[in-house]
Amino acid sequence: MRFHNAVICSLMVVAPLVAQTYRAPRTAEGKPDLQGIWQVMNTAAVNLEDHIAILDMPAGRSVIVDPPDGKIPYRPEAAQQQKENFKNRAKADLLNQCYIPGVPRVMYLPFPLQIVQTPKYVLVASEFAHTLRMIYMDGSKHPGDVDFWIGDSRGHWEGETLVVDVANLNPETWFDRSGNFHSDALHIVERFTRTEPDLLTYEARIEDSKTFTRPWTIRMLLYRHREPNAKLLEYECNVYLEDAAKESR
Amino acid sequence: MKNLKSLNLVIASITAAALMTFAPIPGAGQEKQKGGKGKGGPPGGEQYGPYYAAPVTAGQPVGKTPDGQPDMQGFWTPRFNQAIFEIQDHPKAQPGIGPGKGAIVDPADGRIPYKPEAAAKANDLLTKQIYLEPEAHCFVSGVPHAAYQQFGYQIVQPAGYVLFLTEYAHTYRAIPTDGRPHISSNIKLFRGDSVGKWEGGTLVIDTTNQNGKTWFDMAGNFTTQAIHVVERITPVDTNNISYEAVVDDATTYTQPWKIAGQIGRHPDKNMELMEFACVEGNQDLIHYTEGVGGKAKEKGPLTR
Repeated sequence: MRFHNAVICSLMVVAPLVAQTYRAPRTAEGKPDLQGIWQVMNTAAVNLEDHIAILDMPAGRSVIVDPPDGKIPYRPEAAQQQKENFKNRAKADLLNQCYIPGVPRVMYLPFPLQIVQTPKYVLVASEFAHTLRMIYMDGSKHPGDVDFWIGDSRGHWEGETLVVDVANLNPETWFDRSGNFHSDALHIVERFTRTEPDLLTYEARIEDSKTFTRPWTIRMLLYRHREPNAKLLEYECNVYLEDAAKESR
Repeated sequence: MKNLKSLNLVIASITAAALMTFAPIPGAGQEKQKGGKGKGGPPGGEQYGPYYAAPVTAGQPVGKTPDGQPDMQGFWTPRFNQAIFEIQDHPKAQPGIGPGKGAIVDPADGRIPYKPEAAAKANDLLTKQIYLEPEAHCFVSGVPHAAYQQFGYQIVQPAGYVLFLTEYAHTYRAIPTDGRPHISSNIKLFRGDSVGKWEGGTLVIDTTNQNGKTWFDMAGNFTTQAIHVVERITPVDTNNISYEAVVDDATTYTQPWKIAGQIGRHPDKNMELMEFACVEGNQDLIHYTEGVGGKAKEKGPLTR
């Protein structure tokens, strides 16, 4: 098992080198074209770390590529909080109340998302509760003292890669259904690279010195929906929550 | 449930402090700014004030996007009289809704040409079941309601699409303009299924597949799954868009009916969409429990 993990880790380290050999098609303004409908094929939404299955939550491999042990480098008291969160997850996970999932969680929910690009914006529209991410590409700065459930995203291009700085994040969101969490000090740098025609490599470096002993990085693949009739539909979470509440009366 | 309630209160207060406003707010402008701590109060009176509408200013000739679409990109506010509150002309005040004009231009009386049983249903919703008002539950609005959505919207036009990004409920409407057909009629959606095409300088959007769970306004004028909506959106100049929509459903109306309105560019060049997080700490059902004689407390789902 240890050997197996080592192989996987080395593959992951190699991935960025592979990425540089593919050159994505360009948009009208000459930027890499990331447009399309994408979705992960992993269980990061259940737990970012290695996890065995429990009822209604499938097993899966860690998506954390740094640190190499694939574990979130919690401070001791934060590790304790995560355990509490896990125990109380049915009520404490605000996604169960259909709140906006935050970043990076919206990127690996089991719902398709559509990326569209203009010279000024990259838009990420998730099918989950019509959630919208607006990534400003005009060189503008984060706003001041205000937070958003979906944070504030400002991006730029580094060669083939869209680099997005995400700040102004609301401290109430979680990373996954297992209670992995953060504070109001969360700062994220995402890297989107189209590494093959129908694959997007997504990476997020997560920094929050109140909660973690060091920054850490997740990496995963987004797969393009190639069904000719692929189209975002809708998942109006709060509506179904109301329906369920009515039925249970 | 107790824990849930207290958690919601905590979240609600956090949200309120940061960015939450009530919908609707009496007389509120939408001049929100990043970093602003604006907080809307609960409705103080019987009558709602007007929403912010950009001043009418002549613009320049309409430009083109890189793929040749007439360029409507930017931030816009609708001018549809008081249709946000009630789409029909409503000279008489209703609970929570002051008298005003709607947006219906055909028929000429400004009223929805309901068949008798549909008129009775709308009246029943208005007078007895106003707590079902979909936006009070943070439901996404359908079409054409999205065109006169409170707080306005941003239009973005990547190749092959027109997107309307509405601040309300932080949601979007994506309209492909590549000639694709509608999705199967088996699938019904809050936003319906919209396909668009440019006819010269006019964007024509055909919308079907709506789920009948939305209203045209806050006054009980309900939609059905059968409605077929054709919107015609014409940029007149860089600051002005002309809008009309025909709504048809032969089972509900005696004739197709038409609304019309104007859409003006927001004058703030530094405008950015804020996050109207609706579900997160929704207090809106209070509108129907306090001061307006609503029955939400007794009957409404998920009232807190």
